[in-house]
Amino acid sequence: MQDQASLVAVLNSTWFASGLEPGIQTRLAEFSRTFTAEPGQELFREGDESKLFGVVIKGRVALRTHVPERGDFTILTVEPGDVYGWSALVPPYRATSTAVAIEAVEAITFEGPALRAALREDAALAQALYPRVLVAVARRLNATRVQLLDLFAAEQVRTW
Amino acid sequence: MVISASRSPRGSRPAIEGPGFLARADLQVLFDLLREDGRRLIGPTVSDGSIIYDDITSVDQLPRGWGDEQSPGRYRLRRRGDERLFGYVVGPTAWKKWTFPALIPLTRSTHDGHKVSFEPEQATAPKLAFLGARACELAALGVQDRVLIGTEFIDPDYMVRRANVFVVAVQCTTSASTCFCTSMGTGPEVTEGFDLSLTELDAGFLVDAGTPAGRAVLERLPLRAATAAEQYGVAATVAAVRARIGDPVPTDGLHDRLLAQLDHPRWAQVAERCITCGNCTLACPTCFCTTLTQTTDLSGETALASRSWDSCFSPGFAKVAGGSFRARPRDRYRQWLTHKFATWWDQFGTSGCVGCGRCITWCPVGIDVRDELNAIAPPVPLSPESRLVEPVAATPNEFVTARVVNTKAETADTTTLTLTGVDPAFSHGSTGQFAMVALPGFPPLPISISRFLTDGIELTIRGAGPATKAMCALQVGDQVGLRGPLGNNWPLDRAVGRDLVIVTGGIGLAPLRPVLHAIVADRRRFGDVKLFYGARTPADLIYRDELERWGKRDGIDVSLTVDRAGPDWSGRVGIVTHLFDQAVWDGSNMIAFVCGPERMMQAASTTLAGRGVSASRIHVTLERHMECGIGLCGHCQMGKYFVCRDGPVFSIAQLGDTFGREGI
Repeated sequence: MQDQASLVAVLNSTWFASGLEPGIQTRLAEFSRTFTAEPGQELFREGDESKLFGVVIKGRVALRTHVPERGDFTILTVEPGDVYGWSALVPPYRATSTAVAIEAVEAITFEGPALRAALREDAALAQALYPRVLVAVARRLNATRVQLLDLFAAEQVRTW
Repeated sequence: MVISASRSPRGSRPAIEGPGFLARADLQVLFDLLREDGRRLIGPTVSDGSIIYDDITSVDQLPRGWGDEQSPGRYRLRRRGDERLFGYVVGPTAWKKWTFPALIPLTRSTHDGHKVSFEPEQATAPKLAFLGARACELAALGVQDRVLIGTEFIDPDYMVRRANVFVVAVQCTTSASTCFCTSMGTGPEVTEGFDLSLTELDAGFLVDAGTPAGRAVLERLPLRAATAAEQYGVAATVAAVRARIGDPVPTDGLHDRLLAQLDHPRWAQVAERCITCGNCTLACPTCFCTTLTQTTDLSGETALASRSWDSCFSPGFAKVAGGSFRARPRDRYRQWLTHKFATWWDQFGTSGCVGCGRCITWCPVGIDVRDELNAIAPPVPLSPESRLVEPVAATPNEFVTARVVNTKAETADTTTLTLTGVDPAFSHGSTGQFAMVALPGFPPLPISISRFLTDGIELTIRGAGPATKAMCALQVGDQVGLRGPLGNNWPLDRAVGRDLVIVTGGIGLAPLRPVLHAIVADRRRFGDVKLFYGARTPADLIYRDELERWGKRDGIDVSLTVDRAGPDWSGRVGIVTHLFDQAVWDGSNMIAFVCGPERMMQAASTTLAGRGVSASRIHVTLERHMECGIGLCGHCQMGKYFVCRDGPVFSIAQLGDTFGREGI
């Protein structure tokens, strides 16, 4: 996964980055790194500065939130092809949950500040990448709404 | 018909109860009676090496002692070595030659200067008697009645001809290798559509009447009452014919199975053999397609439009100015077969095939429609999963009882009850069916059957209200009341040879569990099977042992997800549609079964449609308020359906825009 060509190939295999123009993929690969995590390893913590934007290639990352006196809840798992750390692209650049590898994880990551600078300078890159980020975040937002409906609850949940 | 009755037939001898016996030597009396009534007699006779139907006047013209041998593309007469007059099967002629002739004049038109005029030909018909119509042929006449005079617009020529026919049926005492009336439900027993019926014995015939006109003739025949031995002998002979034919084309689900296979490679393969000659359609007793031909005189002033039989195998049959809609032989073969066995049902409420086998025998290249059907739309072996049984205690006031022999807590609020001492109808129920379950003092509730056992069933019940909580609290030894099994089933037969996607959430896995059992029992008949199952939390997953077994041992691709989880859960967290919304699939060969809350089924259906699965192959099971379970109480109505009786399993295409619509 080290050389640029293989990074491009790996990126292209994910739904997030597949079909991007070759020039954009090469540009992305320039400041991307491969990243691995052991099961149990924490990737970032809720409230901390969000430094890495990543695409999961293998394994599973749990996004957790902590409720005092109730403990940690996994609210979503990030699966191969999906992104994590989108908060590295959106002010105030703070992680909105705690990410923990629950299986051995391979990912491709981008340094937040470097990616932001590149997106500011390179309109073509921004034009190609932002819609993908928006799709990923919108998909997650939709899922969160469905989860909020609590459809599998035994009785209709009244929230008002 | 009206027989001139100058003397009271009952006055001449006592009336015979039940069938009468007519000696072979007296058959000519029947001929003469029918001819006396002004009828031309059409019956079997040997001509050009085959037994055809033609004008006859004498018993001597019948094919005495002749039988036939038939197989795909082959027909031969053979000597039987006895004196039987009807010891053959069916030949190349169909009765439609007289009720729906191959060529009739339709309209005469003239051109006089600027004026044109059109004069319809008046339909006329001779009085005929058909002698020797077999059960399949009676059914064929019935099919053409539905097509030509059974709808809003009628064919006047057919109507007149048909009304002038007296039908003497002959029950089959022999069969050919090409016969499949048993599969099509048309024979060999003669049951309706005749005036008189004959069944041949060594010395004569058992005679019965099917109409008052037939009764009037029967009473003038020199009959004696048939003996019990004769009646038994006839029944045994016809039963032997039925047994010999067997069930070559299982028709359970054939309509859907066939229409699900429009892209089967076999269509192209059979088209390599088919020479599109149209022999099958000409020999077919139900084919009714025609074409118009204009014949003009030399001046061009008068013209005659004639109607003649056409065939959907003709190259020009579906032609328009821009070309033909069915240019390739494979298109024409598919049109013919799917019309006969599937879309005919949709148009006329009956099969277009009666199982006479003529298209097999008279196909010059010996294409056997039974083989094609079984290859293109293979039958599902009759198993508990593919056939609906008669429910027990069907009416809402009766129940049968069953005893709890095991209880298993699936989750904090959901229990699986194993019941035995159940009426056998339940063990023979079908995947997706439900039972009305009752405890004294509580309203009976529809509960999906979550497992079929040889001597019982399982019900998985979530204690949501007082009645379900009482059911979940049942202990081993307790009894419950049951009615059922009710409702329709998952179309497992349509999943054979396809990839199957099962999407389910919460307790929605319960009605799909028997589907998984059926697949595991016969895994090779199905393609890839994927199970996507979502629950509220890891603790809400039901059938956990089985989920593991299906995934690890039984070749089913099991994916689980939950809406929320504690840190000890290492599986997926998220919504069930995210398990496959990014998948790269060939949805064209997939069929999907979906069960869960309606909002979830909607999301799953939309996502599946986006993956290329057609609406007619996405099936959901609906939950509605049900009290009777048999379409009488009216509670579960949804659009044009009663969910209990017409469902609970529906395709998205069936439901249309009622699915997921609020307030329906």
